[in-house]
Amino acid sequence: MLLLIQYTLIFASVLMLVALGGCFSEHSGVINIGLEGIMVMGALGGALMMKFLPAGTSAPVMLLLVVLAAMALGLIYSLLLAVAAVNFKADQTLVGTAMNLLGTAAATVFVKAMNTAENASNVSSTIQYIDAKKAFLVNIGGFEFNWFMVLALAALVLAYVTLYKTRFGLRLCACGEHPQAADSVGINVYKMRYAGVLISGVLGGLGGVVYITAGVSEWKFENGVAGFGFLALAVMIFGQWKPTRIALAALVFGLFRALGNVYTGFDFLKALNLPSGVYNMLPYIISLVILAFTSKKSRAPKAEGVPYDKGQR
Amino acid sequence: MKQDRNAPTLLQRKGVQSLVASLLCIVIGLLIGFVVLLVINPTGAWVGIKTIVENFLYYPSGAARMKYLGSTLVKTAPLLMCSLSILFAYKVGLFNIGAAGQYVIGAGASLYFALGLGMPWYVCLLAAMAAGALLGGISGALKAYCNVNEVISCIMLNWISLYAVNMVLSTVKEVASPYTLTLSSTNPGAILPSLGLGKLFSNNQYVTIAIPLVVVMAILVWVVLEKTKFGYELKATGFNKYAARYCGMKEKRNIILTMVIAGGLAGMGAALFFLTGFEQWQCTQSSVPGMGFNGIAAAFLGGLNPIGAIFSSYFIQHITNGGAYLDKTMYSAQISDLISSLIIYLCGFVLFFKHFMDMRTAKKQERESVAAKAAEAAKAAEEVKTEEVSDDGKGGDQ
Amino acid sequence: MEQPYAIEMLNITKRFPGIIANDNITLQLKKGEIHALLGENGAGKSTLMSVLFGLYQPEEGIIKKDGREVSIKNPNDANELGIGMVHQHFKLVDVFTVLDNIIMGVEPTKGPFLQKDDARKKVVALSEKYGLMVDPDALVENITVGMQQRTEILKMLYRENEILIFDEPTAVLTPQEIDELMDIMRGLRAEGKSILFITHKLNEIKAVADRCSVLRKGKYIGTVDVASTSKEELSKMMVGRDVDFVVHKEPAKPGDVVLDVEGVTVASKAHKNNAVKDVSFQCRAGEIVCIAGIDGNGQSELVYGLTGIEPLAAGKIVLKGHDVTHASIRKRSTSGVSHIPEDRHKYGLVLDYSLEDNMVLQRYFEPEFVQAGFLKRKAIRAYAEKLIEQYDVRSGQGPITAARSMSGGNQQKAIVAREIDKNPELLIAVQPTRGLDVGAIEYIHSQIVAQRDAGKAVLLVSLELDEVMALSDRILVMYEGEIVGELDPKTTTVQELGLYMAGAKREGK
Repeated sequence: MLLLIQYTLIFASVLMLVALGGCFSEHSGVINIGLEGIMVMGALGGALMMKFLPAGTSAPVMLLLVVLAAMALGLIYSLLLAVAAVNFKADQTLVGTAMNLLGTAAATVFVKAMNTAENASNVSSTIQYIDAKKAFLVNIGGFEFNWFMVLALAALVLAYVTLYKTRFGLRLCACGEHPQAADSVGINVYKMRYAGVLISGVLGGLGGVVYITAGVSEWKFENGVAGFGFLALAVMIFGQWKPTRIALAALVFGLFRALGNVYTGFDFLKALNLPSGVYNMLPYIISLVILAFTSKKSRAPKAEGVPYDKGQR
Repeated sequence: MKQDRNAPTLLQRKGVQSLVASLLCIVIGLLIGFVVLLVINPTGAWVGIKTIVENFLYYPSGAARMKYLGSTLVKTAPLLMCSLSILFAYKVGLFNIGAAGQYVIGAGASLYFALGLGMPWYVCLLAAMAAGALLGGISGALKAYCNVNEVISCIMLNWISLYAVNMVLSTVKEVASPYTLTLSSTNPGAILPSLGLGKLFSNNQYVTIAIPLVVVMAILVWVVLEKTKFGYELKATGFNKYAARYCGMKEKRNIILTMVIAGGLAGMGAALFFLTGFEQWQCTQSSVPGMGFNGIAAAFLGGLNPIGAIFSSYFIQHITNGGAYLDKTMYSAQISDLISSLIIYLCGFVLFFKHFMDMRTAKKQERESVAAKAAEAAKAAEEVKTEEVSDDGKGGDQ
Repeated sequence: MEQPYAIEMLNITKRFPGIIANDNITLQLKKGEIHALLGENGAGKSTLMSVLFGLYQPEEGIIKKDGREVSIKNPNDANELGIGMVHQHFKLVDVFTVLDNIIMGVEPTKGPFLQKDDARKKVVALSEKYGLMVDPDALVENITVGMQQRTEILKMLYRENEILIFDEPTAVLTPQEIDELMDIMRGLRAEGKSILFITHKLNEIKAVADRCSVLRKGKYIGTVDVASTSKEELSKMMVGRDVDFVVHKEPAKPGDVVLDVEGVTVASKAHKNNAVKDVSFQCRAGEIVCIAGIDGNGQSELVYGLTGIEPLAAGKIVLKGHDVTHASIRKRSTSGVSHIPEDRHKYGLVLDYSLEDNMVLQRYFEPEFVQAGFLKRKAIRAYAEKLIEQYDVRSGQGPITAARSMSGGNQQKAIVAREIDKNPELLIAVQPTRGLDVGAIEYIHSQIVAQRDAGKAVLLVSLELDEVMALSDRILVMYEGEIVGELDPKTTTVQELGLYMAGAKREGK
């Protein structure tokens, strides 16, 4: 049971971070399908930092540097979307899809190249970070507390305040709802959209590193992040683009995802004798069903996905 | 006011623009790929990029080249089907990112019908089409009736179908490995007929009717989209669903039907690949096969034209296969994935490229017409003056 | 020495690819005056204002503020110079409150955080001073169009703008609301504000403006004193020739009932109430029945219900004696309903299709154009060419022109041609002349009258009172989804019509 709570919280943290990222991007008016790729990049940044920091690094320094590395790589990678969507008015779905594929491919190529350079017989796509990972964990009884859970909570509070209490948030949302109105009062729509996408890069990157350190084993970069970026999008839609609701949705989805990891610990679930594939499918099936019921009355930002062209008004 | 009356110049022709834009994507994509190779290991970079572009030409003997050209074609067939699936949906305004999942479930259905139920190849093919169509239909229905964005529902279904197929095919897998049983040992009747095509490719046993069949399918898709009433309706729905509804087309039915057909195409692609016996399904796969996603690259690279997709699919598969020949001690095969995903990314800029070409020619014509109009305007100005009423003289009464 | 002009735009020229939108235009706005800018659709008024507002940069010409040359690169520059604008399509964010919309762009903050209390006090004070009653905490999507416009005015006043631009502000208002707006404008002038009033309605210019500048086809025609210039002179300057405001038509000879509507109710997409409530009327062959009303009172939904685009919540529709209440859109179309939709880009055309493909949009499935599932391209081409010839639809490349690249007037002509050539029993025309120039309006009016004279039933939905009065044989006024009155255009006045439209007056049932 404790294990279930632990996994639920950590998966919910991942989903919340990434969904909040998506939320910023979409409030600025850019659909970010590429969150999956951004997560991979963030994971890569974090994993590299863990690998290359000397073994004796103190836990807070380790935590800080890993988080920064993940955010930085996520941010840089999200520039690909910002440039294409804002400056070149590209099809945002197409570009996002390309970024997902590119993220996994680029990370794999990079990690494999690094591994073979170190040792010619090593063609795996994993990075060693098991020891470094311990910096994030605190054991409280049988419960493995993870500092990333606090970070996710902080991100939630920050996102809420930013979106609803600050000038930046007001202007950001205006760009996603009615960019012409924002432009007419002198708000630079392009800049705000860049800001939205880059924030989603930062949060997505952070979510990526949290994701790969959540599991027991080391992550194979060939596998990307197994659709978590997409689940986060579902969380965002289910959360109606509002931070507090996104947090709730993330907990629900996190629970179903966690079941897949720990169902063997529950006698009644074990007795059902379902193949593990069923539990793997569960979060996706649930999200599909929920979306079917909640999409009719969507409160998506009205101008999302529509490139803003100063000339057209 | 527009310069429409002038015949379009070469660069303004849509087809030429698409071709130029696609070639640009390819060149830039390969260039970046080359840079990546250079960064990883400068000494082998030139050989590396050459290997990728050469693919089967890497073999010295003509017979071997033919044989591996055949292998590339065997894998081009499903890719083309996936890209047809994506471009067909795109013409109707739907982004079928679910081709990947429809391909997966098509593979599952065809292999299960072949290995589990011992059916002949044509039944397996139909089963794959039906399974893909069903999956596409779900996304279509969710879009039409529940307003669920097809991209999101397709992605969810991709993962659901992956896990489902892994489970189902585990019942027909080899005991000692995660791979499904081979067709040749279990049910040779499920292998697609070759009709002697294999002989043309140095006895490549995997070359079957699949290859001519997919070309026929591409032409068929083109005919349906461009020549038929059905295509007229579908494209109208894609361009403007409100106008489609206004003139009495059933836009909901069209959306579902489109996804059903798109799903069927992708499912058929899977069957046309797995029923050759070229590959077995690995039941422990933890990521959705890239075939459907590469289909996106092929569809856009082909200018969203079914005939263009034939060539772009071949190109994508060509470099993907070429990647497999890379020196593993230096580079990983995923370089090809990297290049093809770069090409998809660059396809996002195609509209911009085309716009750029339009602007260049438009500006040129503009300069010519401004000169012509200046003469007209001078004449008109005189007429205006005669009726002008002005109070400029009385300004300043404050 | 004090400068008489608040703002001067001197010799402005703005070009777009293939078109000169503003050709050497000069506009001088005196301090404390209401200056009308008159011109037809496409005359270049909006472009000129966008230049003033910093949305476009002109190729030639200069702008002076208080006699000093200024450079306006973006709306912020314009705002700093004290220039504000109420756009024709309001620039308001639906899901924000009135207050948030007003402060957006000039938000009072403490650090990064919004400080709304003082702003709220200022807005309340301003709205009391100028009689602009709006609840600052209401969401924009929940308030009326008139209140949204007042929000836009408050936006300018909050920024302490001295030069106020009103772009076609009366299009969305009732005659009574228009009077209120005129009062507000006079009040602003009394406070020393300078107002530019963009319009193509001569009555309003006569009512409120001091001077008037006229544009035509991107060119400057002249500036006149309103008091000493007649409406006829103004209209001649605007159009370039004498305009006949009267539509010539014989008295109607109504025949059999073509459309019989009974108790029709249509649900709304925007709110929980029904958009159309228990509406009943008849439309006979050989008459033009006009549905008048302010935008958003259920006219669109009524038409959706009649044509089958939206299902009915209740009621019955009988067409030529056949019940079509549950018939599909296609069935109604083939049984003789033609529909010129209000939004030609959203409903009327597939803009990415060629002109010929659009011409057969309602008929492509007929045996004339299709055989065994394949389109008969030659027949479609021939048919399109026939319509283009007959209805004088002008386009760059004839049948293969992309609909998107055609002018608005010719797009509308194409739709009119398509719908009329179907030879309908009932022609439903919704705002058929919206955004068109006088020539195209005259042509479309004459086509509608010709249909009536050919014995068709015509149901016209219009927001333009002049059009309602000129074309209709009977007027039905819709207010909040109900028909509140039936009027005879020959005996009623615009003022009376306005009272019905505003809901101030209604016939007892």
